[in-house]
Amino acid sequence: MATTTTPTTKGFVGKRVRRTEDPRLITGTATYVDDVTRPGMLYAAVLRSPYASARISSISIEKAASLPGVSAVYTGEDVKAVGPVPCAGSMPTLRVPHHKILAQDRVYYVGHPVAAVVAIDRYVAQDAVDQIEVEYEPTECVADPEKALESDAVRVHPEYDDNVAFTFHAEGGDTDAAFAAADVVVSERVTVPRLAPSPMETRGVVAEYDEGTEELLVYSSTQIPHLLKTQLAVQLSLPENHVRVIAPEVGGGFGSKCNVWAEEALTCFAAMDLKQPIKWIENRRESINVVAHGRGHVDHLEMAASKDGTITALRFKILQDIGGHHQLLTPIIPTLAVIMIPGLYKIKNFTADLTGVFTNLPPTDLYRGAGRPEATYVLERVVDKLADKLEMDPAELRLKNFPAADEFPFETATGLSYDSGDYAKAFNIALENVGYDSFLKKQEKARSKGRLLGLGISTYGEVCAFGPSPALPAGGWESATVRVEATGKVTVMSGASPHGQGGETAYSQLAADALGVPMEDVVVIHGDTGKVHWGVGTFGSRGTAIGGTAVHLALEDIVAKGKKYAAHILNASLDSIQFNQGIFSSNEVEEKLTFQELALEAAVAQKLPPDTEPGLSATRFFEPPNFAFPFGAHICTVEVDGDTGQVEILRYIAVDDIGNVINPMLVDGQLHGGVAQGLGPAFLEEVVFSEDGQLLTGTFMDYAIPKAKDMPWIESERTVTPSPVNPLGAKGVGEAGTIGSLPAFVNAVVDALSHMGVEHIDIPMTPQKVWNLINERSQS
Amino acid sequence: MKIKGQQTLTTPREQVWEALLDPGVLARALPGCQALDPVGENHYKIRMKLALAAVQGLFEGKILLQDVQPPNNYKLHIEGAGKVGFVNGEGHFHLEKLSDVETVVHYEGDVRIGGMIASVGQRLMDMTSKMMIRKFFVSLKEILSEQ
Amino acid sequence: MIAASFDYSAPETLADALRVLSDDPEAKILAGGQSLIPIMKLRLSIPSQVVDLGGIIDLHAIAEEEGIIRIGSMTTHEQVEHSELLSEKCPLLVAAASGIGDVQVRNRGTIGGSVAHADPAADYPAALQALDAKVKVVSSAGEKIIPIDEFIVDALTTALEPDEIITEIHVPTESTGIGTAYETIVQPASGYAIVGVAARIGLSEGNISFARVGITGVGSKAYRALAVEKALEGQPAKDDTYGIASRVAAEGVEALEDLHASSEYRAHLATVFTCRAIAAAAGRAQ
Ligand SMILES: Cc1cc2nc3c(=O)[nH]c(=O)nc-3n(C[C@H](O)[C@H](O)[C@H](O)COP(=O)(O)OP(=O)(O)OC[C@H]3O[C@@H](n4cnc5c(N)ncnc54)[C@H](O)[C@@H]3O)c2cc1C
Repeated sequence: MATTTTPTTKGFVGKRVRRTEDPRLITGTATYVDDVTRPGMLYAAVLRSPYASARISSISIEKAASLPGVSAVYTGEDVKAVGPVPCAGSMPTLRVPHHKILAQDRVYYVGHPVAAVVAIDRYVAQDAVDQIEVEYEPTECVADPEKALESDAVRVHPEYDDNVAFTFHAEGGDTDAAFAAADVVVSERVTVPRLAPSPMETRGVVAEYDEGTEELLVYSSTQIPHLLKTQLAVQLSLPENHVRVIAPEVGGGFGSKCNVWAEEALTCFAAMDLKQPIKWIENRRESINVVAHGRGHVDHLEMAASKDGTITALRFKILQDIGGHHQLLTPIIPTLAVIMIPGLYKIKNFTADLTGVFTNLPPTDLYRGAGRPEATYVLERVVDKLADKLEMDPAELRLKNFPAADEFPFETATGLSYDSGDYAKAFNIALENVGYDSFLKKQEKARSKGRLLGLGISTYGEVCAFGPSPALPAGGWESATVRVEATGKVTVMSGASPHGQGGETAYSQLAADALGVPMEDVVVIHGDTGKVHWGVGTFGSRGTAIGGTAVHLALEDIVAKGKKYAAHILNASLDSIQFNQGIFSSNEVEEKLTFQELALEAAVAQKLPPDTEPGLSATRFFEPPNFAFPFGAHICTVEVDGDTGQVEILRYIAVDDIGNVINPMLVDGQLHGGVAQGLGPAFLEEVVFSEDGQLLTGTFMDYAIPKAKDMPWIESERTVTPSPVNPLGAKGVGEAGTIGSLPAFVNAVVDALSHMGVEHIDIPMTPQKVWNLINERSQS
Repeated sequence: MKIKGQQTLTTPREQVWEALLDPGVLARALPGCQALDPVGENHYKIRMKLALAAVQGLFEGKILLQDVQPPNNYKLHIEGAGKVGFVNGEGHFHLEKLSDVETVVHYEGDVRIGGMIASVGQRLMDMTSKMMIRKFFVSLKEILSEQ
Repeated sequence: MIAASFDYSAPETLADALRVLSDDPEAKILAGGQSLIPIMKLRLSIPSQVVDLGGIIDLHAIAEEEGIIRIGSMTTHEQVEHSELLSEKCPLLVAAASGIGDVQVRNRGTIGGSVAHADPAADYPAALQALDAKVKVVSSAGEKIIPIDEFIVDALTTALEPDEIITEIHVPTESTGIGTAYETIVQPASGYAIVGVAARIGLSEGNISFARVGITGVGSKAYRALAVEKALEGQPAKDDTYGIASRVAAEGVEALEDLHASSEYRAHLATVFTCRAIAAAAGRAQ
């Protein structure tokens, strides 16, 4: 296991350094996919199914194709040769229905791509889409995962004998015995609706095929350019070294761009077919409709405990709504809920049964948190229920079940090894910050006056920094190259693909500190398979812990090689060479060498040490020995308006431990955004479909994402328990806020109404739902 | 979307019945109806232009009358589709004789809307359907009073 | 989300604009575009021509004359929100304007556009009902002044003919001794009111001497809650009175239903926010 270094307090690491990305982003000079133009570029638009389930009896393209300015109209027949949209799942029971880039003879969900048009501009393309005549024969559909499992349910894919996409079972310890011996058993069923990831920048692709070099150049708004390159090569039967993918500026992804999309191959196919560059930009309606929705769970958790509050066992059942097709990671995502179901608690026995269900709805896949918010949510709800049942303080109950700080690495029943932590410490700070005891008194008093105050606790843990390669469907490593130019400027090339997180800033901080150069001297390149030769991407809170570590290792190599040069040039022994703040020195000689002088020496190679190659560059891969496990405690206090059901958030306290911090400002940003994406599903967000699978929340006029005014002030604090699994000691912060916040919100509102006998409220907790509960209770 | 309601007309039941099954009357009373052409018994082709403030949509489809039991009950089945989406629905109409000159029309049905209008117009669905029913009866009353 | 092609004109005088409208029956007026452009981008509206009223200076003014404030139809929500004249003499309208959508929408959306669009959940109509406002409409044939209640006919339906332009909205200068309030619960996605209640309350010796209550969001058009007004008038100004009077806020109204609120919940909210608006207005009247 690697050793841990604590960040230096000198230099840049650990400081609130402003984002180097921001000047170009806020002055409008950044280049997103839609800013890319190529000579002779055409525009694509996609026709999508208005039906959730239908046979396509005929498609007539004549009218569309004859519009002036239309270059091509493609239907399923035309793109038959293009390989299927990939799915990385591999469980033995997995059914992977054929998934062509355009519908063949059937559509499986509203929004299913049916045909595509390429035209001179977007307007003509859309006009032509409107002129394509498709005759559908609508068939019965099923739009609810629970109904889809009923024995007489219509089958989404008639070739299978039911709608089960896969099943997955896991267990540890002896759950049945633990339940039999339990003093108390509590349970809850929760639904976690589908969420639309809604990045600010929708998806987009520009594809250009060079007939001379036979190279396909693809700009895509993606989190995984390297994986996309490989997949496109496979889908289009091209040699992989003829495909170059560039993820230019990417305006957010939240996991939704950690995918390989039909429209990517479609745009490439058309560019190769027409020998002209083609741009496709998704519109917002398409984004809400078809960009794989997050969540889509029905979860049931049963918990066994002894009288003293020791939690002994869990039985977990997950229903994952798959949709009509798998996307890249669809079946894998809910398995993350399975492995994290014990949360921060020492629970020795568990069983988990996961069923993936096909429905006539758009596919689901990863979205910030991916499986872990669902697990944390149901777990933290049930822990509160247990506290209720035992008449025990919910804070005390949690404290009782945490592993102690000296029990790490802590092995869980689900087979994970939690790297490091002091759960009680973070939680106690949060309790202190919220003024736990005095709030409870205030709540008591308020209740006697008919006011509804509530406090919700969420102590969460997550598995992230993905991750050891054997534990993932594809490589879990990351690569980095550091190249020192002859002038001493530093170029960092990372295989990670930051898309809003501020990775360029963090990597620049690492490089500037390691090499003693100003941050302005560092350029970070990422998201271009033509420049960065290896990479996995940015998702699963891995950008710093894995991507950053690869950078760190390459920087170490640079320093080591630099020392060799320095020893030779300064005429001193290698062991005596010190490198400090950009200066090579030795106690054996007076003379010193700056980093820039040394860089020039390495490039001109006039005084090359023996056995040393010229140049100063290093490439390293980092393969983590384990995941990292951030944790924390979020506490929220609310007041519910009994007349309307509206909830006011009074205070929001977050104490997070994400290991060592490279830039607290970036971390705050990630946490705030994360909390917003927990607040969304708690109160506002839900992709709603009718029984016929029709999307009812197709615009932001009906799909409510949180806005600035909806956000509480976040009183944020951190404890630092460095992770031993990477030399930076970093854990990861991209998803922590999303995972930790949802249960705090829900527990707070349930707490506010608990004296009325309310035990659970399904999310989103809209005023109407809350009022209905109050109304029912006050009438009975 | 479930729809249910009733309207009292100061017209004898037989006359209301005839009007409700008369394509000429329906064509005038259905809001936005541009054409209603019989293609068989109790089976019509319909073209409607729905205009609501700045929103406009052209729908083509068919209307089927089923279980016709004069002068009491019938079932109306409607299917329409346009560029902006589609509408399908069934409705039961029941005519109650209140007196010799008064009739109550009870209606109950289920309307399913799909495609783009379903996904962008959620907020306006309920009010639109209610308004169309209101308009329908206003026109129907007008036509009946002319007779 | 790409509009079909259309012609665009930006006349500088009202007369020119009217001419375009009478020449081209498929033309559509463009004011702030906050309702029209989204539906055009969805191709739910495909006008042959868009007539932008932005260049007609006369339509942007707010002026007071003999107890009546004339608000040009192209006055943006933001201009109403920050008008000194209105905040002094018609604070109810200011309160309604400041709750519309978000800053971007208020910067572009206009009072004329809002009234012409007649969205059943729009904020202005509640206030305009409570204010007994009038709408001035001009066509090549002449001009009409229509009370708001007659102007808005039904959901998204007005008395406006295709060749007519709204030029002004008329509201009264608020009398002294009258307190006003606008209370609303908003739909979280759009910002539109689920229920919005505008109240104007006058007091005399501890009793309610004047009451106007306008309610939006509940029915297919904003309405005056006459039963509430009646239940208030002459009664002592205290919480009990407000509570009892508010119970009939949605009486006789077929409450709308959508994803965000059932008709039962809407009708209930109407009573809650009516009570709150009345109480707040009465508080300000004292
Ligand atoms: C995100 C969002 C949130 C919103 N939230 C709210 C809200 O909370 N409350 C609320 O009340 N509204 C809300 N709105 C609507 C907003 O207030 C609009 O501005 C208003 O409804 C229309 O005004 P406009 O000037 O934009 O009109 P336009 O969109 O330009 O026109 C609307 C209609 O009115 C016609 N028209 C416009 N001006 C005239 C005129 N002078 N004479 C005749 N016809 C005319 C047009 O032809 C068109 O049919 C929201 C809009 C958006 C986009």
